[in-house]
This record gives sequence, structure tokens and C-alpha cells, in this order.
Amino acid sequence: MEELQLKKSLLLLSLVATLGAGCSSTPLDAPADPSASNSNYYGVDAATAEALGLEELRGNQLLSQRSVFFDFNKYDIKPEFQDLIGAHAQYLNNHEAARMIIKGNADYRGSHEYNLSLGQKRSVAVKDALNALGVDDAQIETISYGEEYANQECQADACGQDRRADITYEVE
Amino acid sequence: MIYRIYSLFVGILLLFSTSIYSLEVIEILGGKASEIPIAIVPFEGLNNTGGQKAHQIISSDLNRTGLFRPLNTSGISNPPSSDININYTKWSAIDAQFIVVGRVESENSFSGNIKITWSLIDIFKEKTVVTMRYIGKKSQYRAIAHKVSDNVYEHLTGSKGVFHTKIAYVKKVNNKKYSLNVADFDGYNSRPILNTTQPIISPRWSPDGEKIAYVSFEKKKPVIYIQNLKTGKRTLLANFKGNNSAPAWSPDSRKLAIVLTYNQNSQIYTINADGTGIKQLMRSNAINTEPSWAPNGEDIYFSSNRGGNPQIYKININDDEISRVTYEGKYNLSPSISYDGKLLIFLTNDQGKFKVAIQNLISNQVLKISEGPADESPIFAPNGHLVLFTYKDYGKTTKIGTVSINGLKRLPINVGSSIIQEPTWGPITN
Repeated sequence: MEELQLKKSLLLLSLVATLGAGCSSTPLDAPADPSASNSNYYGVDAATAEALGLEELRGNQLLSQRSVFFDFNKYDIKPEFQDLIGAHAQYLNNHEAARMIIKGNADYRGSHEYNLSLGQKRSVAVKDALNALGVDDAQIETISYGEEYANQECQADACGQDRRADITYEVE
Repeated sequence: MIYRIYSLFVGILLLFSTSIYSLEVIEILGGKASEIPIAIVPFEGLNNTGGQKAHQIISSDLNRTGLFRPLNTSGISNPPSSDININYTKWSAIDAQFIVVGRVESENSFSGNIKITWSLIDIFKEKTVVTMRYIGKKSQYRAIAHKVSDNVYEHLTGSKGVFHTKIAYVKKVNNKKYSLNVADFDGYNSRPILNTTQPIISPRWSPDGEKIAYVSFEKKKPVIYIQNLKTGKRTLLANFKGNNSAPAWSPDSRKLAIVLTYNQNSQIYTINADGTGIKQLMRSNAINTEPSWAPNGEDIYFSSNRGGNPQIYKININDDEISRVTYEGKYNLSPSISYDGKLLIFLTNDQGKFKVAIQNLISNQVLKISEGPADESPIFAPNGHLVLFTYKDYGKTTKIGTVSINGLKRLPINVGSSIIQEPTWGPITN
């Protein structure tokens, strides 16, 4: 009985030692060495990352902007979002393998179903703008979340945060 | 005449009945009608331990309709429990036009069942309208009281009561837990039929009472399920590319109108309840959504912004002809049609306040029956006399309540402190 307990605690000790060694050899805050591994930010292999231009997607200032905002009950794209859309159009045109999902949203006012349709109109408006810049329909999927993830207690201008279409990429 | 319906009641015994009274509901739209003063006398004998007593349940039921004014009977000495020796002068003195009396007894010493014998008495005409006896399990006490309400309602209005029907609604807890719940029409006896971590919207009860169709975001986008209430099993009705939403049953429960987007804007389709036979109903560049199938089976009402702002339209599915239905107000949504096809309710944006409005489809007279500011999801009771809707309690938490179609009574349905939204109302069943 005593012997068994001793064995157990020895096992535990050796386990702790292994873990400790693991920690000391690779500190958690050490920067990843890109050449040492074929995995990356999105967990895809190097060839896929290259095809999708993930470095660009991650690093480009315009491409990192993902939300297009709209006025109440509206789905026309305001001029200030043209640059953002232009950058994403260029990215999609340069990387045929890239797949975009646009998720439309609406503020809580009005019915759940109408807001679902309104959010869809917003995501389609972004898609249409991309199409106009030569992006293939097959690269884009449009869906809507309506008001389902919106702030249900927003007042006046704060509700504007929910009237938006979010650009996401399948790889993310 | 003894009825034995084992699913709900052990027995119903009709002891006496005269002809049915009738109220023309279309005429009272506009809130001009006075409510019928009625006294529900406390029933003698056994009482529902702990819960509401029969006369309280019946008063509460009738009060919701906006057609009755239940009177306070606490000052009445020696209240009667049958229609024998009624002091008509005394009841006239408190302006009672009708009274309901009754008693609750053990059926016998073996069964453990209760029997409730009750009468509806016309004070003006000094005669008994109906006397009935219900026999059921003790656990059916509330259900029996609702059945009394149904009978009183039918005798005095000529329309079936909805006090014995069920509703369903979505409960939302901390934006993390969603459940679809079924309950008695007044919120009692609720139980979840679906629990999920993603939003549920647009539940719609099939007219045959067997199923509920709803939209779930479980698949990271809206898809439509149909759940069988008896078996609890569900099937995926629509999971096409894009969004799948807004199910609306046809009157025969065989088809649904649904909204699909693929990669474009919302369009209305019809589909068989087994998922076959999908057909696009219309094509337009505008939003078309929230279909509601009229009881004639031919017209589908829907909301659309084809004229700029959202308004209610209808399409005849035989000739595809579309006509506009609402003209009052700049922003009208969420149509629901009464079961006789004569009344439309919808959500209207009245200078920034969302209210429930009702439109007589014959005269096109419109009346706002709720006050807002953030009311939503109006849906008709299966007799078309009440509307279930949501409102924001203290501007914060969404709750459900009913409003009578004459706009006189707006009352909450208490189903707890969570957010309650997207209600639907089941049919009248026997």
C-alpha cells in the first residue's frame, strides 16, 4: 500500500519535471519563428497562406477594416466606405481562392424578420459594390443576422453601431 | 347528454342551455362598445390549494378580452352557489348583467376527481342561460376553470373562447441561452420544447395544432425547422444558401410560405411541409418578407419596401396579382390575419413609436391598439378577438402581453423575469 502511494507520487513528480522543462525551453511570450513551422495565424499550410495572401490580409490597414455602416432603414453605401470596399475588391481579384462571407446586421427597432431582410440588403449592397469592381459572385456569400446580436437597449446614435455589414473571410 | 373526453376531462355534463347570445365583433372595433358587467361569484366548496381560485381565473380570462367588466363581489353576503333562489334585485343593484355561480365537489370518495357544477345567469331577463358540470382530475383545476370561461364567452359573444389554448414564445437568458417554450394562453404550465445557445425567431404554430415551425441560428445562419409537438422530433425544412426564415403555414397545414435569399435580397417562396415542391412566389428588387397566409388559402399578406418604406401588401397565389393593403402611416410591418380573414393586425411606426394597429379589411378603418414605444410581433388569437404582442417593460426587458382588439385591455402575461419575445398562438382544439 505504502509502496503504491510512493510510486504514484514519483510519477507525479516526473510529470511536473517534464512540464517544467517544457516551459523553460519555450517561453510563452517568445515570438514564433515563421521559418521553423509551416503553420501560421489561421492554421493553414504555407501554400494555402500564399494563395490566399494571408500576410496581406493581416497586414494591410484597409483590409483590416471590416465594417460598413448604414443609416436607419437604409442600405445604400456611403462614400466614406468606398476605399475599404475597393481594397477588399482588389484583394479578392488578386486571390481567386479567397472566399468572403458578408454578415448584415440591423438595430433592434422594427420586427426581427424585417431586420433580417434589412441586414441581408446591407450585405448584398456590399456584394454589389464588390461585383461592380469585378469580383466574381462565386467568391462571396451573403447572410444576415438581422437584429439578433444587436444591442437591445441602445438609444439614438448608439444604435448606429448595429446598422452594419461585417466582412469576414472563410479562412478566418 | 354526457361527453367523455379523456384527453382532458373525465366528463362534461350539459344540464341546461338556452339559445346563444351574439355580439358582432366587427361592429365593436373602434372601442365604442361598453363592456358587459358580469359577476363571477366565488365557487363554493373545494378550492385550488395555493393557486388562483376558479372565480379569479374566470374573471381574469374574461377581463382580458375587453368585452367584459368583472365586478367585485366581495361585498355580497351569502353568495349563491347555484341558480336556485337568485336575488335578482340585489345583483341588479350592483349593475351585474350576468352572474356566474358554481360549486366544486369531490366526484366520489374513490376517484380523487373533482366536479365543478356551474351556471351562467342573465340578471336582466331573470333566467338561467346555461348550467353545466365538468368532471376532471384535481390537477386539471385551472383547465376546467378556463373551460367555464370558454363557455361563458361563447354564450355571450357567439364566438369561441381561447382560454383553453396554448401559446409558444422564445425565452432569452443573458444573450447566451435561448429556449422555445409552450404554455397555457395565460402563461401557466410553461415548458421548453427546444434549448439552444443561438437565437430562435418566428415560431409559427400549424393550424392543425400538431407542429411549430421556427427559425434557428444554430447553423451560424438562419434555417427553418419544423418540430412535432407530440414526438418532440424535428426536421429541417429549409437550409438553402443564404438565409431561410419567416415560415407561415397555409390554412390546411400542408404548405408554408418562407423567405429565402440565396445570394440576393429576401424573396417569398412556397414549399410543401415535407420540404418538396419549392416555388418562388414573386421576384422584385425590394425586400419582401413576413408572409402571412390568409384563411381563404389564396392570399398571402407580406411586408415589402417596394414603395420606398415598408408597407403591407398581399399577393393572390393563383393569379400572382399584388395589391397594397396599408396606406395609413409610413412604416408598417408584421402582418397577421384573423381566422375569419376580416381583420389585419400589424406593427406601425407612429412618429418613432412602434405600436400595434388593427385594420378592418372590409372598411379599411385603422385603429392603434397599443401605445409603444417598442412593441413588436403582433399575432392574432385563434378567434381573432385578442392579440398577443411584445413590449419593452420599463424600456428594457421585452415581455409578452395581450391586447383586446378594441384596444381597451392591455395586460401582461407573466412568464418570469427573462426576456420573452417572438410569440405564436396555437389553434382552438377540443
